Parts: sequence; structure tokens; C-alpha cells
Amino acid sequence: MSAVASPAGQVASGARARTLNRIVIYGLLALFAIFYLMPLFVMLVTSFKTMDEIQNGNMLSLPHAPTFAPWIKAWSEVCSGLTCVGMKGYFWNSIKMVVPAVLISTLLGALNGYVLTKWRFRGHTLVFAMMLFACFIPFQSVLLPMATILGSLGRFGVTLQNATGFNFGLGNSTVNLVFVHVVYGLGFTTLFFRNYYEAFPTELVKAAQVDGASFFQIFRRIMLPNSLPIIVVTVIYQFTNIWNDFLFASAYAGSGDVMPMTVALNNVVNTSTGVVEYNVNMAAAMIAALPTLIVYVVAGRYFVRGLMAGAVKG
Amino acid sequence: MAFLEIDGLKKRFGNVEILKGINVELEKGGFLVLVGPSGCGKSTLLNTIAGLEQITEGQIRVDGRAINDLHPSKRDIAMVFQSYALYPNMTVAGNIAFGMEMRGVPAAERQAAIDKVAKILQIGHLLNRKPSQLSGGQRQRVAMGRALVRDPKLFLFDEPLSNLDAKLRVDMRIEIKRLHATTGTTIVYVTHDQIEAMTLATKIAVMRDGEVQQFGTPAEIYNNPTNIFVADFMGSPAMNLIPAKIDANGSGLSVVLDREARQPIVLPMSGAPSGLAAFKDKPVIFGVRPEALTDPEGAERNASNIATADCHIEVVEPAGSDTFAVTNLGGKGVVARLRADANIQPGTSTPLAFNLSKAVFFDPATEKRIL
Repeated sequence: MSAVASPAGQVASGARARTLNRIVIYGLLALFAIFYLMPLFVMLVTSFKTMDEIQNGNMLSLPHAPTFAPWIKAWSEVCSGLTCVGMKGYFWNSIKMVVPAVLISTLLGALNGYVLTKWRFRGHTLVFAMMLFACFIPFQSVLLPMATILGSLGRFGVTLQNATGFNFGLGNSTVNLVFVHVVYGLGFTTLFFRNYYEAFPTELVKAAQVDGASFFQIFRRIMLPNSLPIIVVTVIYQFTNIWNDFLFASAYAGSGDVMPMTVALNNVVNTSTGVVEYNVNMAAAMIAALPTLIVYVVAGRYFVRGLMAGAVKG
Repeated sequence: MAFLEIDGLKKRFGNVEILKGINVELEKGGFLVLVGPSGCGKSTLLNTIAGLEQITEGQIRVDGRAINDLHPSKRDIAMVFQSYALYPNMTVAGNIAFGMEMRGVPAAERQAAIDKVAKILQIGHLLNRKPSQLSGGQRQRVAMGRALVRDPKLFLFDEPLSNLDAKLRVDMRIEIKRLHATTGTTIVYVTHDQIEAMTLATKIAVMRDGEVQQFGTPAEIYNNPTNIFVADFMGSPAMNLIPAKIDANGSGLSVVLDREARQPIVLPMSGAPSGLAAFKDKPVIFGVRPEALTDPEGAERNASNIATADCHIEVVEPAGSDTFAVTNLGGKGVVARLRADANIQPGTSTPLAFNLSKAVFFDPATEKRIL
């Protein structure tokens, strides 16, 4: 009724108000985006500048003569403490830690989710609640108990070494970190997969049972191939968390050439040789951040989609 | 000895008894339909036959062999699920062959079996597609193909047509019937649709609250329901169940149907079932199917006992093939099924013929059939 009766001027003012709303909303969003991306931008431009330019120029300006020298130095020459061999060794340390930790925790999470939804047993809700609880334990509180456990594992490794001539990696810092991250990632990966498999049609599992598939055959042939969205979510989440972890890394692998990237970066920045080489530090920080950035850019679409799928299906 | 025998089967979840002693038999090549409203236990019963649910008591035998403790894959059964349960990550051919693959059948043999089934179901052109690229009817065919390819002793269907639209459902129903006729397989089929039950079955088990209410051929179930539940559940439109009174007038018994503000209708029951006499002057439920209540010209000619009475017509529903007329008897709307061209107007009185040889009587207290 009112639309019919209202004069044209009112309609026009309504349209103007909408446009104004849009400008305010998008303006605010743009502002926040700029604010959020500013540090990344500063890091990126600084890492391509020479020291002269940094000392004399504006922090936000683009490099006049872009140079890769800081990146090369950060990768292969920069000093962490007294050893000056660059970040590359520590980068590979991190890779060696993060890849197995992500794969094992994702696979175990999927297996847990599969059992908790499709092979329910008495008390399955209690088990799940306790695994959820693991998500909320502050990591600082487990530093000491975990150190004790890792110490015992190390001693057991020595025993094995003496008995069999092989220690199965027990006592190795990288193996220790993989173990810690798998244990603490399990709560989250189980949560992700359980919620995804909750909405997964149980009739498929029943059909596979009638077809004669075993427990693991169903898991491998039916569940996993249909879990791509949640696998991507879990991998991104675990990769980002484990790669960026500083607390466990510094506590259990905080010195020598076993350090992961994050600890090494901290040491690089704290190592002073007179002048603070901001460009090298920034390049090192960029190298440390690149893998997670790449993972997110490559799989981010699935990340959002996976989160949405879980939300809608409940 | 029957091919499929279910003997005193009970199923409990904790203290709740889901199936309360089921006894059902099916001959080889038979088509058993388990029908009933939601929550009656029909799907649970099917799942226990499949081995997807464990039973608490009793025995399930197929071809003389007890199967109730065997793993589903060892029971020599195949199942078609309501959602079809096609593996989304595999092609149609992969779906059909998955069971054989799990049992280690050589690839060449698998291919031959796929081709054979694809030919029967006419899905040869779909073999390389994924389930998401198929229509509902095609998915249904693939699901049946996956069951057929195993050549099992027993086929289990769990409401296979309920996800299809009305027209496709009728087509697939005929297809299933044809498949049953040509392959001669033994089928157990769950549905809540009584028309599917009537059209497909050689034996029907009507279930409610974990109990079989009646087990028999479709004709037995339809013409001789053992209680009010079965009478009401089977048939569309449903059987008219009219509160009535039995009256004795000299020579024989008659049925008295009260009408609001009108003279009661008195239907003489010559040759009435003898048990009815015990209910003299007592309330009974008088059951008459819509097709046994029709216009006098359309009444069955060789029926032994037809009584005609004037009824006030409240609503007329022309349905094309028939005309349904609603009148009020015993305080309830009663549906009569007339010829399509019957000349009948709402708001008028018209004679209707009661085919009393097809009428049934129930005890309102126990809801059981009197005779």
C-alpha cells in the first residue's frame, strides 16, 4: 500500500540511504582489511630493501631498488646464536616435524570420528567428551608432565638401542615434537571428523557391510574418499598450529641444530651483531610464514566450504 | 519347510522391547511385504534379517540354515536401501562391483556380471557415471543392480520407492514386480505404503508396535482383516468403520446404524455369522469397504446379501475413474464408491446398496474381529 501511495521522492531517498549504508559498510571493511594487512605489507617491502633505504626512508614506501640479498642471507647465512648457516636447516627441521605430525593426527582423528559415529560402543559420548576436554587444556600446564614423559621415552629409547641396536627414533627431538603435536592435536582432529561423520549417511556403511567390506576397508574405500572437505580443514588447521607453535618447540627442541623454524627465527632476531638487519629479519620471518600462507591460499576455498558444510548440516 | 523362517524373534534395546516375538514364513520365490506405520519395527525386523542389528531371542533361518549369528556379508543376502546408499566416490560400475571386489572375484568375471545386470536394468550407458550425475530413478536402478549382481538367496528392500516422485514410484513398482516375476528371487520388502504392499506382495505382514497384527496373502488381509487396525490401515480410501448395534427381529439379526436427526438404517443380516448373535443389543463396529457401498445399479450382481437404504449425501468427490460420496452414519463420515457417471448431488438423499456379504464386524472393546 505505502509503496503505491508514496511519492517518488521518498523512493529516491530510500535508495540513497541504501547507498550510504553500503559505503559505510564497505568503507569499514576496507579499513579493517588495510589495518590487518599493514604488518604483512611492511614486512614484505622491508625484506626487499637495502639497509640504507630502511634507515633513511619511509617504512611504508616501496623499495627503490628491490634486492633479493636479504632473502638469500636469511636462507643461507644469517646467524642464530653463534652458528651462521641461515634458516634453511631449521626450515627443513620444521617440515620434518610438521608433515608427519599433521598426517598422523589427521588420520587418527578420522579413525576416531569413524568409530565414534559409525561403530558406537557403550560410553562413546563420554570418550568423546574427554577428547573434547583435551582441546581446552592450556598447553603451558602440560609442559612439565610432558617433559617427564618424553624423558622416560628417551630412556626407553636408550634401552632399546642397547638391546636391539636401534632406538626407533625415541629420544630424537623431532620425533618428540611429532609425538607431542599428535597427542595435542588429536582432540581437535577428532572433533572435526566426528562432527563431519555424524552427518555422513550411515546407510553407506551398512551397504558396505552387506557388500562384505571390513572395518578398515569401509574406512579406506568409503569414508576417507568422501571426506575431502573435512580433511582439508583439518590439515590447514593442524599445519598452521604445528608450524607456528613456539611453546613446545622451545621447550623440547630449543637449542642446537634440531630447532624448528619458530625457535630459530626468535634466535635470529635476538642475535645482535651491532646493527639490527631489519631486512634480513623480515625476510626470515617471511620464510617462516610462507608455508602456512601457501597452504591457506591453495586450500582456503575448501577450508571455508568445509566449515560451512559442518555448520549447515549440523 | 519354508525358505525364510523367522521364529519367535525378539529384539530389545535396554528395557524397551522393539520386536515382541515375530513369527513369519516365506516360501521360495515369494514376495513378503512388511507394512505398518512409522515406528512399528518393520525396518528393525529387516535389519535383523540383514544382520545389521543383533536379535535378542529367536531364530532366523534361510533355506534351513540359521543365519542370525552370521556377519551380514556371510548371509547371502543383498539389500536395497531407502537412500539407495550408492558410494558417491565410485562410478556406477564400481558401485555394482564393490561387493564382488570385496569377495575377491577376478576382474573379468566382475565385468561380465556388471554387463549382465546392466542389460537387465538398462543402465549400460550409465556405467561410467558417478551417482551424483544420475536422476532418482536411475539411482534406484543402480541400487537394484548392486543387489541383483550378487545373485543372493534373499533380497531385502527397505522402503526403496519412498524417495521417488509419485509417477516414478508407480513405474518402479511395476519394474520391481516384473523383476521378481522374471528372476524368481525371494524378496522381503519394507514399506509404509499399503498400495505397494497390496500390489507387490505374495504375503503381507501388517505390523504395529513390534507385533505382527496379521500375516497372510494380500486378499486375506484385505477381505478378512483380523482387527480394526488392519482393516483401517489397508485399503484406500480406508474401510468405513461405523459404530452400530445388533438387533434381533423375529426371524434373524439386523444391523442398526444410527443417524443424526434421521431414522436409523436397519440392514437385515440373513445368514449372518453365528458369532454375531452373542452381540445382540450390544455395540459393534460395522466395517464396510467403500466399494461394497455403492449405487444399486453398480452393486455386485452375484453377491448373496445386498441391502439398500436411502442415505443423505453430504459431499461428492468425482475422482475420474470413480465418484466418491460421503454420507453420515453412526456419527462418522462414511465413504461410498460409485460409478464415475453416477448421477448424484450433494444435499440429496439417494439409495445406496450395502454389500453385506463383504461386511465385517469388530468388537469395540477388544478391537478384534467378531466374525
